Amino acid sequence: MTYADFSTILPEFALLVFAMAALLAGVWTGKDARAGLILWLSVAMLLSAAAVIGLGGGPARSAFGGMFIDDGYARFAKVIALLAAAAVLAMSADYLARRGLMRFEYPILVLLAVVGMMMMISAGDLMALYMGLELQSLSLYVMAAMRRDSAKSTEAGLKYFVLGALSSGILLYGASLVYGFAGTTSFAGILSVAQEGHLSLGLLFGLVFLVTGLAFKVSAVPFHMWAPDVYEGSPTPVTAFFATAPKVAAMTLFARLVYDAFGNVVGDWTQIVALLAVTSMFLGAVAAIGQKNIKRLMAYSSIGHMGFALVGLASGGVQGVQAMLLYMAIYVTMNVGTFAFILSMERDGAPVTDIAALNLYAKRAPLKALAVLVLMFSLAGVPPMLGFFAKFAVLSAAVNAGMAWLAVLGVIASVIGAYYYIRIVYLMYFGTEGEALDTRMPAPQWLLLMGSALVMVVGIANLFGLEAPALAAAQALVQ
Amino acid sequence: MSLLLIVILPFLGALLPAVLIRSGRGMAAAGAGLATAAALAGVLAHLPRVFAGEAVVARLDWLPALGLSASFRLDGLAALFAILILGIGLLILFYARYYLAKADPAGRFFTYLMLFQGAMLGIVLSDNILLLLIFWELTSLSSFLLIGYWSHRPDARAGAVMALVVTATGGLVMIAGMLVLGGIAGSYEISQIVKAGPAIRDSGLYPLALGLILLGAFTKSAQFPFHFWLPRAMAAPTPVSAYLHSATMVKAGVFLLARLWPALSGTPEWFYVVTTVGLVTMLWGASVALFRTDLKALLAYSTVSHLGLIVMLLGFGSKAAALAAVFHVLNHASFKAALFLSAGIIEHETGTRDIDRLGGLRRLMPLTFALATLAALSMAGVPLLNGFLSKEMMLEEAAHTTYLGGVWVLAALTTLGALISAGYSFRLIVLTFLGQEREDYPTKPHDPAIGLWLAPALLVAVVVVVGLFPALARPLVAAAAGAVVGADMSGVVLKIWHGLTPALAMSAIALAGGALLLTQARRLQWAGVALARLSAPAVYAAIMTGAEAGARRLSAALHDGAMARSLAALVLVALAAGGWAFASAGLGPETRAMLPVPPVVAVGWLALIVASLWLPFLHRDRLLALVLIGIIGLMVSIGFIYLSAPDLALTQITVEVVTVVLMLLALNFLPKQSIAEPFALRARDAGLASAAGLGVGALIYALMRRDFAAPTISAYHVENAYSGGGGTNIVNVILVDFRGYDTFGEIIVLGIAALVIFALADVMLRRPALRRLIAWTPDQPRAGDAHPLMLVVTTRLVLPVALMVGVYIFLRGHNAPGGGFVAGLVVSIALVMQYMASGLAWAEARLRFDYHALIGAGVLIAGLTGIGAWFAGRPFLTSAFGYVTLPPLEKFELATAMAFDLGVFLTVVGAVMLALASLSRLSHRAHHDERKRGETG
Repeated sequence: MTYADFSTILPEFALLVFAMAALLAGVWTGKDARAGLILWLSVAMLLSAAAVIGLGGGPARSAFGGMFIDDGYARFAKVIALLAAAAVLAMSADYLARRGLMRFEYPILVLLAVVGMMMMISAGDLMALYMGLELQSLSLYVMAAMRRDSAKSTEAGLKYFVLGALSSGILLYGASLVYGFAGTTSFAGILSVAQEGHLSLGLLFGLVFLVTGLAFKVSAVPFHMWAPDVYEGSPTPVTAFFATAPKVAAMTLFARLVYDAFGNVVGDWTQIVALLAVTSMFLGAVAAIGQKNIKRLMAYSSIGHMGFALVGLASGGVQGVQAMLLYMAIYVTMNVGTFAFILSMERDGAPVTDIAALNLYAKRAPLKALAVLVLMFSLAGVPPMLGFFAKFAVLSAAVNAGMAWLAVLGVIASVIGAYYYIRIVYLMYFGTEGEALDTRMPAPQWLLLMGSALVMVVGIANLFGLEAPALAAAQALVQ
Repeated sequence: MSLLLIVILPFLGALLPAVLIRSGRGMAAAGAGLATAAALAGVLAHLPRVFAGEAVVARLDWLPALGLSASFRLDGLAALFAILILGIGLLILFYARYYLAKADPAGRFFTYLMLFQGAMLGIVLSDNILLLLIFWELTSLSSFLLIGYWSHRPDARAGAVMALVVTATGGLVMIAGMLVLGGIAGSYEISQIVKAGPAIRDSGLYPLALGLILLGAFTKSAQFPFHFWLPRAMAAPTPVSAYLHSATMVKAGVFLLARLWPALSGTPEWFYVVTTVGLVTMLWGASVALFRTDLKALLAYSTVSHLGLIVMLLGFGSKAAALAAVFHVLNHASFKAALFLSAGIIEHETGTRDIDRLGGLRRLMPLTFALATLAALSMAGVPLLNGFLSKEMMLEEAAHTTYLGGVWVLAALTTLGALISAGYSFRLIVLTFLGQEREDYPTKPHDPAIGLWLAPALLVAVVVVVGLFPALARPLVAAAAGAVVGADMSGVVLKIWHGLTPALAMSAIALAGGALLLTQARRLQWAGVALARLSAPAVYAAIMTGAEAGARRLSAALHDGAMARSLAALVLVALAAGGWAFASAGLGPETRAMLPVPPVVAVGWLALIVASLWLPFLHRDRLLALVLIGIIGLMVSIGFIYLSAPDLALTQITVEVVTVVLMLLALNFLPKQSIAEPFALRARDAGLASAAGLGVGALIYALMRRDFAAPTISAYHVENAYSGGGGTNIVNVILVDFRGYDTFGEIIVLGIAALVIFALADVMLRRPALRRLIAWTPDQPRAGDAHPLMLVVTTRLVLPVALMVGVYIFLRGHNAPGGGFVAGLVVSIALVMQYMASGLAWAEARLRFDYHALIGAGVLIAGLTGIGAWFAGRPFLTSAFGYVTLPPLEKFELATAMAFDLGVFLTVVGAVMLALASLSRLSHRAHHDERKRGETG
């Protein structure tokens, strides 16, 4: 490891060292009593890492012989993932403390998962890909089962683990086939071997299985089966985490893999990705309609949203990738706000996840209800909320790529999906009298809910200038 | 005034009522009105240029990458609509100030109303279809808020949601249409799209774009079969009905059709779809209106009908028809808003709007009577009022347009429509105002104060003035029509008398027929009942509940929470993906010859297959399943031997033994049979497993019959194993040298796994889990003899030999099959046998070293070996070796790899033994207590 390598992975390294130090400190100095401190320090670490990466700039560089790539694309995605993780940690502190779940392992697991994600985002090699993916996944498996005294939580963790292990196995099988037939694990090497019209059986198989494994991580249909159960069963802060940062990492890795390694055989994977996108959008929209549990509903919602992000990827080209990145950034912001609200849903101090609990919420907490309304409309993609711009970006990328059918199907799916978001708004404003939710909301949750809703409205001015960095990021990926 | 400012003004005005409401609702209304008036003045100031055929533009780049720019354009069409929106908006604000009850939160109402006004103004001024879409959905949202304004009323809530679902959905669908349209035209600027008309109409995507855009326009403008939301939206306060649901918002769809008219019209698709939908809507709406007794419902259906008329005119595709359509937009807005406001007055003053409970209001409310009658006569198409003029133009065009092969079809149907329209207009006047005065009005009727009658009076003034002097409206209408068709229309003449034309005859028939219809109303009641039964809201409700139930069933079927199903789905899809890859990849010719298959190999292979196939069927019996797994493992090891891989075989077989033993121990705590499952399920699993196995097999076969794509890595290892790693056993050199890092990681993982098992078992041995453990009874009786003598004797005899073998295998590992890992396993097996034969207590009493320490020592030794390389200035884990001769012995090799291998050895022994000891301690504890219970009991 040279000094250049080291300086390239400095943010990851710092996070990792902090995580281990926190682990030791936690074990030696009073365990869970220090959990709150560790959590807030972790938030600070994540934020400063995001600042360092986001403000650092500089030319693209790579470390460890191309295994680790630090380009504009990676930086863009990392900043989103880091900010999302910090936000989720900040808003879960109160929830964890009140449920007796404030264990010092929780922030550490989040940190480790984030390091895994950063590795995924920067992967330039199948080895790095797998390492990052597993570091992330293993942390997530444990987090899903964090509430050990709850049958639902442990079941969720077990299911996630078994299915995740199978999908990892499939991915690994694909990776080894690719290695066997490309003779190298580096993306650049695979790129030069995988040429249009000369894709050998082994490489195609490898590509298919790699995509299968990644589709599981982004919970694209038909690899989504885990999502509803895991979202419902996990403690809500964990669900919030699942719905945000890991999705960014997996989606970014997906794009990185198909462009950096299989960028010369675009036609071969476009069809698969388009198919995944269509099935995800539709299943996400249709299955969410019947849900009564808001966490389960958000699971289907995230499945649908991943479908839309995949539309961007399937469209290909700089515009498609830019649209996908914008979509993910906006999606994460919306979900942070929504989960900040879901975390605050409680009655007599006990968490509630039934949608019926929202009946006439607007009467008791008009401002919060308004914020949720904005978020719901944004999630539905109704203009003029920011969510519309996200959808619009991916759909117009599809049209420009000559895939008008994909855009049309996407719009139909979004129309179906709009129904259940609007139903929540309806309940809040026009529902029937029922048992009321508590109106208590801790400051971090309140700030994130309001902030995210505000972003959805104010952001339409210029998308906070996100468009240019997203374009630069997309150009960095699609040379 | 810049167009940007004009668009922003209503939004600014939306803030004012919220601030000013503290100073009273008069101030709030004045604030909103001021903003509206300023915007109106701004539009009027631009009129001279617009009348001259120019367009006023303003442009601000917004998000150029998305093709979104804040570009606004004020041409004739936009000016007509803007004047309607702002002019009527001003009147509505004034009217609402006096209309709202004391209890109603007026500030909120004005804010919503101004939001809507801004959105609507945005639609008509946008020159970018994305911008238009944004404003379009904003009108849906603000309409939702306004309809649901009286949210305590269930009909208001239901109406608001229905309107939102229908119009917002239509708007979302339209996004796709706009995307496609923009894609074809290469720009999202409307002025560019309009220019690209021929290219758009020739494109293969034209039908798609047209269909999607029409869906959006039809839902917004309440065209059949999406008309049902409009009557339901009448739950809104009357000013809202007058403003949104007759004069402006519902005309947004019409506006869009007019705006895109040059780009989309002129094709048979356009003609038949738009004309037919418009025609059906016109007739349907009019027919239903004829039988309604609720004033607002009657007006709502009449609005539906008139919107249909305008849409139909746009569908004709001729310039004259477009002119008539634009003119009718203006006329309809004036008389229908006046009617709605009059209806509001009647409800306000009499307490009801059911025309069956009214009648005879002529003398009680003369002013209202005059206003409403003039407006209704205009709606009926009576000469000298503005409704007559545009209806006449419509009939004229219909009489000249060929539809379905005949000129007379449209003429007849539109005349019928006009006839029914006259019928319900007359009925409205007669039943509300004429006839006997009644005694039972809910409240005593009288004319309202000026606050309520001024707004409709001004609107009726427009109706009359335009009706008498149509030339006054000419510049505006001509400019608007010119903007629609994209040509100069300033030559048109609007006049009352066209001579004896067919249209005049049709108009006369319609008026006479309308009067006749009024007299026959009682006889037609059956038709009204029949129409009421064909209720679209019921269909809508059925669709919604059906869809919701369907969605619920689907998700319940897909996600029942069973993991087996999820796994099956995952495997199935992976199989399908693999199959697809297999089918679509070019396989190329086979380049390698098949090896001969000797009978022995075939038998082994068969045993492997049979054991594998049996497994899914027999897995319920766990012991049997374990045996089958053992067979499979054994056959695999033999396969390794046959294929000249003794190292792998050795490792495989020892691993098999250890895992089977550990699993046997774990099995001790489980029922001997797993839960029964239906045969179908097991067959599914067997089928899936076989397919997956066959698939992988086929892939391997296909790959092995062909040359590898890239040179394999073995050559490198063969070359460097001895010279670089100092060993002739390449597998061992790979483990301890080439891939020493991996091995180092693996032993750490192994150690952690053992520690986890220990920790879990430790938890089990504490309360409260211990109580469960003690209460546990095995489901099979124990064998009498726990420690058979023969076994005890044999294992004790074998122990030293086995240990020797272990050491031997360890030492030879570098150059011959063997190594630390295998040696560790062999020693572990020997020790495990002691536990099994002689029992935990006996073994633990003698094996007194700590397994934790063993694991730690192993990892530490391996790590230190690696670090040692640093002192030689080499990277971590670089191995070194040399040859040493000690006098009595032959020359032998000493390699750092051996120290590393020792670490591996110790870790393996420690890990296996720790796992075993943990499990057996559990078992021991349970048995111990069981025996004790037996003695006491």
